[in-house]
Amino acid sequence: MLLKRLGWLRLLAALMAFSLVAAACGDDDDVATDPPAEQTDGEGPPAVEDSSAAGEVTVGVLVPLTGELGEFGAIVADAIEFGVSEINDAGGTQCGMIRTVVADTGGDAETGIREATNMIESEGAVAVLGPTSGVMVALVDLAKREEVVIMSPYAGTITLNELGGDFVYRTVSSDLGDGAASGLWLSSRGYESVAFLIQNEESTISPAEVARGAVETSGIDITDFVVYNPGQPSYQAELTTVLANEPDAIFLAGGQESGVTVIKEAVVGGFDGEWLFTADLAVPEIFDAVGAELINDVAFVEFADADPSLPEFISFEERYDAAGDPFAPNSFDMVTLVALALEASGQCDGAGVNSVIRDVADSDGTLVSTFAEGQAALAAGESINYEGASGPLVFDESGTVSGAYTIQQAQAGEWVNIEFYPASTFDG
Amino acid sequence: MNWPQIIVTVVTLGSIFGVVTLSLNLQHARGGMINFGIVAYFAVGAYAYAIFTQPAPQGLDQYKFGFGWPWPVALVAAAAAALLFAAITGWPTLRLRGEYLALTTFAFAEVFHSFLLNERRIGNGTVGLANVKRPISDWGPIEEKYVFAGAAALLMIATLLVFRRLLRAPYGRALDAIRDDEVAALAAGKPVQRMRRQVFLISAIPVGIAGGLYAMFTTLAQPSLFTAEVTFIVWIALVLGGERSVYGAVAGTLGLIFFEEVVRAWPFETVRSAQIAASAEHIVTGLLFIAVLRFQPFDRIAERVKATR
Repeated sequence: MLLKRLGWLRLLAALMAFSLVAAACGDDDDVATDPPAEQTDGEGPPAVEDSSAAGEVTVGVLVPLTGELGEFGAIVADAIEFGVSEINDAGGTQCGMIRTVVADTGGDAETGIREATNMIESEGAVAVLGPTSGVMVALVDLAKREEVVIMSPYAGTITLNELGGDFVYRTVSSDLGDGAASGLWLSSRGYESVAFLIQNEESTISPAEVARGAVETSGIDITDFVVYNPGQPSYQAELTTVLANEPDAIFLAGGQESGVTVIKEAVVGGFDGEWLFTADLAVPEIFDAVGAELINDVAFVEFADADPSLPEFISFEERYDAAGDPFAPNSFDMVTLVALALEASGQCDGAGVNSVIRDVADSDGTLVSTFAEGQAALAAGESINYEGASGPLVFDESGTVSGAYTIQQAQAGEWVNIEFYPASTFDG
Repeated sequence: MNWPQIIVTVVTLGSIFGVVTLSLNLQHARGGMINFGIVAYFAVGAYAYAIFTQPAPQGLDQYKFGFGWPWPVALVAAAAAALLFAAITGWPTLRLRGEYLALTTFAFAEVFHSFLLNERRIGNGTVGLANVKRPISDWGPIEEKYVFAGAAALLMIATLLVFRRLLRAPYGRALDAIRDDEVAALAAGKPVQRMRRQVFLISAIPVGIAGGLYAMFTTLAQPSLFTAEVTFIVWIALVLGGERSVYGAVAGTLGLIFFEEVVRAWPFETVRSAQIAASAEHIVTGLLFIAVLRFQPFDRIAERVKATR
């Protein structure tokens, strides 16, 4: 009868208001009763409470396990898992053993926000590792509000160049670095004219804009700057104007699907100049898909690369079988850095990690390349400088590291290294 | 389970999408119009909000307009933009009926999505507009997320009230008449064309505002957020909840989001288990949909509430 008098609607409104108030009050209680450095709040499931009592600190692993980037996500999550096992084998951090909570975003920003919120609010995660560009950008606000560190090993998006820095870090260089490397390469080849063919994606347009700037500065004529949409059966329409201007080289920033078609159609259309591709085409399959004879000797490819001569990388390769997978070293570095920051800060929360992570990654202290080394040095009262498997890891203002880049040439049906730009090339 | 957090997410997202479901309910169940392009109106609201609050372009930004206006103005702009978009798309499409209308609205949404992808001067193309202003920052002792959830719930309840009022009035009965037999309604002197257009326009306004709230929630306005998938999710919510009542629409949406949240609240500690869960989620969701459609629990609740009145 109460239902009848109140009406369904008012009941709904009352329920909503009540649940919100209850939720708000519940949270306040926790704030009041929890010790400040406690990493899991009292609202978590019993399992969490038990584990926090046993001394665990939770790190969220938020990667795409399904969808287009699922393969990359699995590589990243596995490398993080390996890093965690090394840390826990060394006895864990001063906050306890590291516990991971893994969730799939499918590459979707809304799912990413919801999963990250769960990790932070329900699981007490001090850091969320592994989001892709779109998700990472959507999490910036949440990270700063909840004071939790988010970190990505592959989010190159230029949007983070403005938003990153505080609580937001990445162990990969910005897409702009790829653009700078491409620009440097194009400018150094003695071309008189270059055409740009760019797939309509954020990750290809931003570096292309930077490369265009570099090429223009060096006085090379840009005959065309064409942005095309992927998924077309043919790119004749775009190529007709590009080829009519007879450029010495074409800079093709495209995916594997569209790239293959563009290359074939350009050669058929009479293009006999040189190519520069971006990372997506830096795979051996491209020789079968396009036909090796079309690109041998005339095609080059640029991509961000760990310096394989670094002792830290060689040592990582010896310990971890899948070290050569894309972004595996960057992912390993990410979780090791967080653990070292937990160790160094003496605090077991995101704010603690955020306050010391730059010092841990870059200082005048003892050079270390594993968690165990860092832990020992910190215990001895020294400050540390973590040199990662992916490079020296110096965070700039936006929380981004500078990267190193490799240029490869197509020779007899395979990609061969011909140039390496270390991170220092682009300093300043 | 961290119930307070689950409730907050369900209230926030459930209310935002609930508004869209309510509008769809008005258009479809009462107005007899099948709109398979509802995501476009949602996207228009989100983009309008982002463009009006966004600072002027700088650096590598490719959008041309960023007004940096305060958020209340931007929310009004979001509503106005959705209304305008409904007027533009409604004019040619509402002459069509049934599946022809469904196809045309779907096509309009796809065209708009393609426009957002390619026209970089408006919404920054595939990059989208990031760091969208979230105005609710300092509310003293109450945390922002509760204020935000409350605001979303308020919008949904207001929409529900207005729509219910509208449908209980003679206007609603005239609409039912048009839906059930258009020729008969025309013969009875009802302005069929005008009323269909009115419903189409009125229902776009709250969708636009919900789009603005969604842009605040995700802090993003990006083409990848506004794919046809959104349309389908809202339609699923409507079908789950039962089409004939406004409460069903709300119950369906809240139920759908609640289910997703409960499934996700389970912590997976290894990569393998998370991978399996990610794959299994779709299977479980599918089975659940079949069960709900077979037993129609939300529809029954709504019916029972109606009966007790």
